[in-house]
This record gives sequence, C-alpha cells and structure tokens, in this order.
Amino acid sequence: MAKKVTETAEPVGTRRLGRHTIIRLAIYYLMVGALLLLVTGIFPKQPMTQGEVAPTEMAEALDWLRWRLVALPGGSPRWLDACVQMLGALLLVLPMAFTYIRTRTRLKYDHSIIQTIIVLPIVVTAILVVVQDSLALAFSLAGIVAAVRFRNDLKESGDAVYIFGSIGIGFATGIHALGVASALSAAFVLVELVLWKLNLGGEFDDTFRRLCMPGGADLAAPPHSAGDVPVAPAGNGRKRASEELEGDARAVLLKIYVLEAAAARPAIERVLVRDAKQWAATGVEGDGASKVLEYRVRARKSVGIEGLRDHLLVEGAPHVIAADEVEPAQRL
Amino acid sequence: MNTSVPPVTDDDHILGPAGARVTLVEYGDFECPSCGAAHPVLQAVRRAFGPNLRFVFRHFPLRESHPHAAAAAEMSEAAAAQGKFWEMHDRLFEHQDALEQAALARHARKIGLDAARAERELIARTHAARVERDAESGRAIGLRGTPSFFIHGVAYRGPRDRASLVAALASAAAAP
Repeated sequence: MAKKVTETAEPVGTRRLGRHTIIRLAIYYLMVGALLLLVTGIFPKQPMTQGEVAPTEMAEALDWLRWRLVALPGGSPRWLDACVQMLGALLLVLPMAFTYIRTRTRLKYDHSIIQTIIVLPIVVTAILVVVQDSLALAFSLAGIVAAVRFRNDLKESGDAVYIFGSIGIGFATGIHALGVASALSAAFVLVELVLWKLNLGGEFDDTFRRLCMPGGADLAAPPHSAGDVPVAPAGNGRKRASEELEGDARAVLLKIYVLEAAAARPAIERVLVRDAKQWAATGVEGDGASKVLEYRVRARKSVGIEGLRDHLLVEGAPHVIAADEVEPAQRL
Repeated sequence: MNTSVPPVTDDDHILGPAGARVTLVEYGDFECPSCGAAHPVLQAVRRAFGPNLRFVFRHFPLRESHPHAAAAAEMSEAAAAQGKFWEMHDRLFEHQDALEQAALARHARKIGLDAARAERELIARTHAARVERDAESGRAIGLRGTPSFFIHGVAYRGPRDRASLVAALASAAAAP
C-alpha cells in the first residue's frame, strides 16, 4: 500500500535578515529610548517641590530638568500623562508590527493583525490610566469586557503571540513601566526574528539535529520515512514550505517517478534550485519498484515547466524515470 | 487476445531512443474517437518520460465502422515516405472530423508535404500493404478494438487516463 509522508521544509539560510535591518532596529530603539526618557522627564507624574538646589549628581539631573522646564506644580495633568504613556506604547509596538510583516509570507499575512497590534497597546494603556488603583473601576472594566464577546479566528496561531505581546506593552506603559515595556518590545522582536531566521521547529530534520544532536552528529535516518534523505543544496531557487505554494496558481504539482528516492533526490533538488523560482517537497509515495517524489514547483519563466521537466529527466538519469505534471482534477 | 505483441523493428514508426527504459506500443485508428481522446494523453505521457520512453504506433484501421480510417492510415504512410509521419499522425488525430480525400490532401499541404505526390500515392494505394501489415500483426494477436496498448510487449488493460498510464509505464520501467 502506498504511503505518504508530508514535509514542510525550508532550509536554514534561505531566510535573509539583512544587517541593515538589525542596525535600523537598534537605532530606532535608541532613539525611542532617548525620546521617552526625555518626555517622561519633562512631564513628571508626581508634583515637584520648588526651591531645590541644582543637581550635582547625574541621577538628579532629570529632576532638575523637570523643575526648570515644566511649570506644572501639581504634576502633569492626567490626560497629558496618558498621552505620554500612549505615545510610548505606540513607539514600542511599531517594531513588533515591522517584525510581523517581515516574518510573514503573503499568504500568512493578515492586515487586521497589524492594525490590532498597533492600536491595542494604546487602548490598554488608556484603560489602565483610567483604572489606576481603583478596585471599583477594575471590576467595572471586567464586567464590561465580560459582556462583550469577540470571536475571530486567527489566520495563524502564531499571531496570538503578537496580540499578547501588544497587550503586554500596553499593560507596562499603562502602569508607567516604560522600561519594562521597552525590554518586552526589544526581547520580543529579537526572539521572533531569531526564531524566524533559524526556522526553528519548521523542519523536523533540522530541528532534531539542532536540539537533539548538538554535537553535529550525522542525522542518518530520521524517523519519518525510509530512504528519505533531507537535502537542501544551496542555490537561487527558494525552497518553501508546501502550504506556502498551495495557493500559488503558477505552481504545479510534479510527480517524479524514481528508482531510488535517496539517490534521485539530490539530483532533482539541484535542478529545482537552479530552474525553479520556488519549490517545496510535498511527499513521497509508493514502496514498490518505483517511488514517487512529489514537489510543488513554480518554474522560472526563462526555463518553463517543460524545460524544467526535461532537465529533471536528463540530469536525474538514471534514477529519474518520469516527471508528470498533475492535472488540477487529479489534485483533489 | 494474445497478450504479447510482435517485437519492435526498424520498420515501425518509433518515437524515442532504442535504449529507452520502457516501450509503449499503440495500435490505433485515425478515425477512432477513443484514439483521438487518447492522443493528448499519450502526448503528455511522452513528455513525462522524455528519453525514457520509446513510443511505437501501429495501424489498426477498423474499416467496418470507420470508412476513412484506412485512407488516413495510408496518407500517414505517404507522409512517412517524405519523412513526416509524426506530423501527419498528430494532425490526423487533431482533425478526426476531416478525413475524406480532399481533407487528407489539405492536411498534406498544411504540414509541408509534396501534396501532389502524396495524393497520387493515396489514389494508387501505394502504402496499403504497409498499413495492412500492421493491421495483420494486430489481428494475429487477437486485437478487436482501438486503441490497444502494450507495455514492454505485454497488453495493458488498465484505465487510459494519463495518471494510470504514467504509473503503469513507470512501474514497468522500474521492474528489474
């Protein structure tokens, strides 16, 4: 009986994260940090006492600045305080929105998530500024939230993390913990980008090697299918996760009949890396004399699917017997 | 029906190298609708296998039910005499509704044959014996209908859709 193994693989190294991106993020965080430090210094939450002597220590410089610049003897008004905190929330959540866009594909991208994660911390901040330490207001808020029901399926389960991150920043800024909010934002962006770059967990073989065989031992026989050797040669053709190409009308499903999967696969994938714009291994079928390797492929325009198939047959010899494009009706 | 087919010879109409992994022989009739339906399928199968498939076409005109089949087969042989058998083979299957003599002459012109010569040979029935030789080889193994397929000389009785044919041919090609 034919068996089918589904793969969702993307090799490490195909996800590019430029140095400019990291530098820009670092500069952004430095500027935001300086700005927030300045703004929170100018608009103190607590009333200032006049008549203090000029600061002699750096730690007292901000207090002195407050006294010199702000004529708000009762402290900054509540609305101004809320504005400062909300501005902080907005500035700290923007890198998260950037990270979301950078790490999502066109298919997985959800524009409503972008708007949600930007607006949510501002709202949460405002709510917390209103509630402050009032138990009565907190209960009222809980009652209101309980009465309103939101049901919305997320496109990606990972999107929930962004929602929680956004709420976390809103909470932190809402209680005037801008430092905590900054740390959360930076840590979130850093970890998310690193996980995305490494594609940790995205491919079984790679994850197994990273987490279970840190010594670099050869992963000779991963426990998913006999003769199914993970190979990802370097090249221009992007290897993608299978589901990323499913909705691509320009991608076709190729059934490649081979004598031995393990021997044929490197040759096949060399051709795909060179001749395909994007491709994904979607499965292996058959356990008889021949095996069928399934690939979803979007050929380069300059080569075309016919040219790609010819190259597979010639360069895959003697292991590749046939490469058949599956008709749409057969895909059901 | 006898399940083995006469071996492929140089006299056959062959597409693909002699050293191909698998050989597919078709007995066909240019006026047969089933053969017409199988034609694009076989083209796709040939593309899928490339140099790993040797495709052989043999005539088996069903004269009783298809009055133009024999003449079409002879015209294809006239084209073969001018080195354009496969061009005529494809054109005839793609124009099964136009196989009367005038249409055959038109097809000859369309594919760049010396149409006058082809028409003369058709009228003189120059290639009738060649067509009959193929048909006789089919009758000898008990063929009754078209298209009939043989993989590595053995009758294929499975579905004639592309996926089934490709799978059967691949299996035959991989067999030791």
